[in-house]
Amino acid sequence: MPPREVVVTGLGLLSPLGDTPEALHEALLAGEVGIKPIELFDPSLLTTKLGGEIRPFEPQRYLGERNLRPLDRTSRLLISAATRALEDAGWTEEARNGRELSLAVGTTYCSMHTIGEFDRRGLKLGPNYVSPFDFANSVINAAAGQTAIWHKLAGVNSTLAGGEASGLQAIAYGADLIRTGQADMVLAGGVEELCFESSIAYSRAGRLAGGEVGSETNGRPVPFDRARDGFAPGEGAGLLVLEAAEVAEARGAKIHARIAGSGAAFAPDRNGDFAAALSRAIRAAWTSSGAEGGAFLCVSSGASGARELDAWEAEGIARGLEAAGVSGLPVTAIKANLGEALGASGAFQAMSLIATLADGRIPGIAGLESTDPGFPLTGVSAASRAFATAPGTLALATAICADGPVMALLLAAP
Amino acid sequence: MTSIAVTGLGLATPIGLGHETVWPALLSGRSGFRPVALFDTSRHGTHLGAEVQDFDPAAWVRRLPVSSMGRASHLAIAASRMALADAGIDPEQMTPEAAERFGVTLGTTSGEPLEIERMSDLMVGDRLDELGGELAGRYPCHLIAAHVASELGFAGPNQMIPTACAAGNYAIAFAVEALLAGRADLMIAGGADSFSRMTYTGFGKLGAIAPDLVRPFAKNRKGMIPGEGSGVLVLERTESAISRGARIYAEVAGYGLTCDAHHMTAAHPEGDGPARAMERALRTSGLVAGDVSYVSAHGTGTPTNDKLETLAVHRVFGRGTTVPVSSIKSMIGHTMGAASAIEAAVCSLAIHEGWIPPTMNYDEPDPECDLDCVPNQARQVRVDVAMNNAYAFGGNNASVIFRRPHAPA
Repeated sequence: MPPREVVVTGLGLLSPLGDTPEALHEALLAGEVGIKPIELFDPSLLTTKLGGEIRPFEPQRYLGERNLRPLDRTSRLLISAATRALEDAGWTEEARNGRELSLAVGTTYCSMHTIGEFDRRGLKLGPNYVSPFDFANSVINAAAGQTAIWHKLAGVNSTLAGGEASGLQAIAYGADLIRTGQADMVLAGGVEELCFESSIAYSRAGRLAGGEVGSETNGRPVPFDRARDGFAPGEGAGLLVLEAAEVAEARGAKIHARIAGSGAAFAPDRNGDFAAALSRAIRAAWTSSGAEGGAFLCVSSGASGARELDAWEAEGIARGLEAAGVSGLPVTAIKANLGEALGASGAFQAMSLIATLADGRIPGIAGLESTDPGFPLTGVSAASRAFATAPGTLALATAICADGPVMALLLAAP
Repeated sequence: MTSIAVTGLGLATPIGLGHETVWPALLSGRSGFRPVALFDTSRHGTHLGAEVQDFDPAAWVRRLPVSSMGRASHLAIAASRMALADAGIDPEQMTPEAAERFGVTLGTTSGEPLEIERMSDLMVGDRLDELGGELAGRYPCHLIAAHVASELGFAGPNQMIPTACAAGNYAIAFAVEALLAGRADLMIAGGADSFSRMTYTGFGKLGAIAPDLVRPFAKNRKGMIPGEGSGVLVLERTESAISRGARIYAEVAGYGLTCDAHHMTAAHPEGDGPARAMERALRTSGLVAGDVSYVSAHGTGTPTNDKLETLAVHRVFGRGTTVPVSSIKSMIGHTMGAASAIEAAVCSLAIHEGWIPPTMNYDEPDPECDLDCVPNQARQVRVDVAMNNAYAFGGNNASVIFRRPHAPA
């Protein structure tokens, strides 16, 4: 069987800048920043007090009056995004009766908060007093399992962990499952919650903004900027409904975009070889798309304000595009607006790109003033810009996980 | 379809290291259950665990500092180095071009739970100021696959798959897709988990831990016993395995992944998801139930799992089926995310060696588990097709089918 074409027929997200792709797109274009003082927990021990928190988060708006007690924040976020994505795709429970929908979820921790709570309760009160609810939610595939139960998703149910690359990993895997015929429809994307446990871990590792002596960022992440000194923790959930083109066409679904290709690589030294790894991933995505000669619109980079990773990401993008015969493309970095939402970041990038492919408008990089000497990308800008787009126009999303995995995902306008 | 070959096996288990040790131990019915050494169980209702004994990480972790990573990473690196050596590949002799085509995918339930347990100790003891950067550098579960790849210098796709107790099979399925799509030429695929107080406490709270022995499918079975370990397979496209003259234990014929979409910790009352996973695996393999010579059961030894697993096997294979169905968890306990990876190695060895490991501690038959569970004695028999079943929290079900390699043309 020849590989099948994969299209995107539904989008659902909860982000610090809104709960629809349109709201996110307009906010990004307007330069709005969803990174604000953290209220979800006391951030006083963190180097930055800012985070991309979803506030208020009212799960009942998406989930109705059903019993939410067994669900932690991560599961509530993911189920809410799934509700929106399925609605957008027109996959009502009735329409998908008898079909097995699959789920591929990118996440780094699922709920580090729930896991920590479970263990601390056992320590304080004794092993007989731990919560069985918390134990069920302590597995890293808990949000995927809860979402499958809520929405009756009986197909493949995978969780993919790869830090900042998780979301793109899940979308790429979902597309592969459709290409090879393992699935007809996959909800793919990711989720991450903002919580004290993961935030203090990054803060103590010196990875959050505001931690450098003489920091000029006031705790704000400024991707690619000379003054950058770390990221702001974020959160959210985003799922794309991926579908075999023939299935989508047969039911007359609106097609938002096409998944053109993807590439994965790893940087064993977790150092200068990140640029080489990202460049290989981009070339692999390009090759797998068979899109030689296609028009490129822009890049949504995973740059988060991290001092070294951002530099490597810029170099990797420049080298990867050069190998594909492209230069000078506009490059954006939406973690300036949203923070580093780990598993959800890739889905945010993909949804922002899909909106950009539709109208040609590319968000600027909020807060960008000046780049490092010798910065290899010419297409970064603080201001939003507009270019022409047409059916088949390509856009690239990239991500580097600080621990080695890197991803590139190519999307095409329908 | 292009076929995928299993060319190397690596095992770190509660009954030994390396398949040369573990396989004869499984055939002789050795038990890996010991009093828990990692933490004090005096406030727990049970006291036995299945920890990996006499394991020296420094013997395996060579490029990275041993102390820079957690125990699951140690176990995974050991199993990966064993598997690679078994496949006849020396990572020190790899060309950079080859390294870019070699990837890693591993499954896990808890990742590196000991790292967050240390954070809990500090928080409960009001000593959080002692927490440094090590938590971010040691805890996230993707570090297990990353550490393995950094150790071996593998620069291809790298994917951690934390789908709980079916994760090993999920990782194998991921590797199959990566190889078929040409994203990699060789994949380390498997799973790893470390013993932890959280896992032990949680299963204890669910009343799922047996006080003495694991007795899968027996009438008086009392539960599972948590364990730890790592299982790793080297997978490559069969044509490239043949062209480099590699020994092929077995081929991956197909797989089926499904979700119960029913309950987080309780299985579907009719074994629906597991049955659909087996059926999908058969369909994608181009096989029928009658072709299967051996089923490696999830077989945790809990009253519910074994009963529902029997229902599912009956639905796929027919009531009164005589297919042998055994559970090595009767010997090594439930090694969580490593379990189905270790069992995948067992399926490969069953095909290659012509033996089926027993279900130990089987005394009284249970009419609700009416299966030939290969009780207490290993069985010498030709195995052409082996099915590896795994089920997990979240309602995840995964069946992978291995078959005897076709004779090279």
